[in-house]
Amino acid sequence: MRSVVPLLLATALTLAGIAAAAAAPVTVHDALGREVTMPVPPQRIVTIFASNTELAAALGLVDRIVGIEAFTRFPPEVLGKPLVGGRLGFSVDAVVGRRPDLVVVTPARQAAHQLVDPMERLGIPILVLLHRTMPEIFSNIRLLAKACGVVERGEEVVSRLQARLDRVKERVEGRKAPSVIMVTGRLGNGMMLIARPGTYTGDAILRAGGRFALESGMLAQVSPEAILRADPDVLLFAGSERDMNELIARPGWADMRAVRERRSFVVARTEFLIPGPRTLDGIEKLAALLHPAVSQ
Amino acid sequence: MTAWLRMVVVLLLAMMVGISAGHGWASPADVLRAVAGDPSLGSRLLVEWRIPRVLAAALVGALLGLGGTVFQGVFRNPLAEPYLLGSAGGAALGATVALLVPLAVPQPLLLPVLAFAGAWGATLLVIGISRVSGAVDAAGMLLAGVAVAAILGALRSFLMLALSDETISLQIVLSWVLGGVQTPSWPMLGLLAAITAACVGLTLLIAGRLDILGLGETMATSFGLNVHRFIMVAVLAGSVVVAAAIAFGGLVAFVGLAAPHIARWLVGPLHKPLLPASALVGAIVVTLGDAISRSALPPAEIPLGLVTAVAGGPFFIVLLARRLRK
Repeated sequence: MRSVVPLLLATALTLAGIAAAAAAPVTVHDALGREVTMPVPPQRIVTIFASNTELAAALGLVDRIVGIEAFTRFPPEVLGKPLVGGRLGFSVDAVVGRRPDLVVVTPARQAAHQLVDPMERLGIPILVLLHRTMPEIFSNIRLLAKACGVVERGEEVVSRLQARLDRVKERVEGRKAPSVIMVTGRLGNGMMLIARPGTYTGDAILRAGGRFALESGMLAQVSPEAILRADPDVLLFAGSERDMNELIARPGWADMRAVRERRSFVVARTEFLIPGPRTLDGIEKLAALLHPAVSQ
Repeated sequence: MTAWLRMVVVLLLAMMVGISAGHGWASPADVLRAVAGDPSLGSRLLVEWRIPRVLAAALVGALLGLGGTVFQGVFRNPLAEPYLLGSAGGAALGATVALLVPLAVPQPLLLPVLAFAGAWGATLLVIGISRVSGAVDAAGMLLAGVAVAAILGALRSFLMLALSDETISLQIVLSWVLGGVQTPSWPMLGLLAAITAACVGLTLLIAGRLDILGLGETMATSFGLNVHRFIMVAVLAGSVVVAAAIAFGGLVAFVGLAAPHIARWLVGPLHKPLLPASALVGAIVVTLGDAISRSALPPAEIPLGLVTAVAGGPFFIVLLARRLRK
């Protein structure tokens, strides 16, 4: 009977150690170089933007999400969660009203601008993430996993995604990269927005085995004429089939090589314009479109 | 005297409404508890976030009222507004640079500084142009102001188009241009209060001469006023006031135009009472406008400039109509 006491003591100490480790504050560095400390693993998370919500969802944290913004549509389980902002900006009141212990934002629209300062003043941890390349998305998944105390799940998710990315790389490696233009938006003045280098959308195109037909310079937008003159091997349109058909029905577009050779395709906006795990779906599909021979 | 008391009471009421208003409405009891040091998140939100913002809104409104009064006095034109001489265009250009161009300086600091520099710089440019062209009078300045505003507006539009894509949205600039008081840190709020007090003093210094100028240039000259020189001094003073308002509140439509008129109906046309009265009226209007902007469409915020124009415009028209009918 006497020998049980030290054993119990040891067990108790071990348990206490585990509990202490689980409750230890976690500090991470975000995209702005800020040091963000979570005293305990967050249980009430406000994820601003579809991208950050999807990252949290990929980590199995949907249940912890207590607030989203109005344009988040995925995954379906988050629909109906309270909204803390939309096109007209983000409400500090609404975010605080959700009593979050972590807020995740991206410096798009006015989010970081409107929220970082107040959350810092109120002592609510706020993590700013930037998603500019696939590796950056992966490291953000790890970062969020660490912040939320689910490090292992983060590693799992990333290694699965990384394996898929590697498979695409093997498939397209050594093959001649077709020149690509992806139209991501059209402006009122007739100009087009196209995917550019230095963005995750551009990174996705490169990883799917494409190359840029047009390195648009300082301006994010290009004239349709420049697209016609660049005459890419493949024309991609992020949007609906109908809008694409309307676009290529315009004067001159039918003569484009990509259109004549039936290499103009519609791609999903959700896969190329929301950085996250779904971008990999997009990369895989795009690789199949760009390199049809290897993808039976 | 009653007019002053009324204005002060209305301002205090407006500020109380402002502190209560938001996505979640706070009762006066909540506010009292928060001020007494309650540590809950909701209370800290009130103290750390909403109260400084309401105070900042009132101060920005006061500055706009002062600026508007000076400009209407200088140009002897009831339609003169504080953004007349290029300050809006210059401030918007400065803000666009601060918001869209990645620079090493942190944005919360850069934005007000560049907005101020742009606003004041543009007015200096206008004064410089009218001096060089030998037209240091109201008409010359107005024309130079139109030209400078057009150039700066085009530059800003170009920057906005050049530097935006799906992720860096035009909204961020647009929402700034449409006005909105940001909650300042306590030291910044102190600075804003000091600036506002200094601006009241500064404009009161030229109040007497604004009255003389109001008699007409010939008359003013015969009173011994160096009209051209004074116009320049007054415009410089007015534009500092306006630039300070812009730096803290963005471009808030209509307040600088309307506040002096409302104040004039309350205290008469002499500038010595008119300037502080306009400041009070401006403070009331912006405080209420900010409360509406925060609470009308939760969880979003309507840009303040839209609120002041849409809610204030009809109000102003009604007042004007009643005034004219008398």
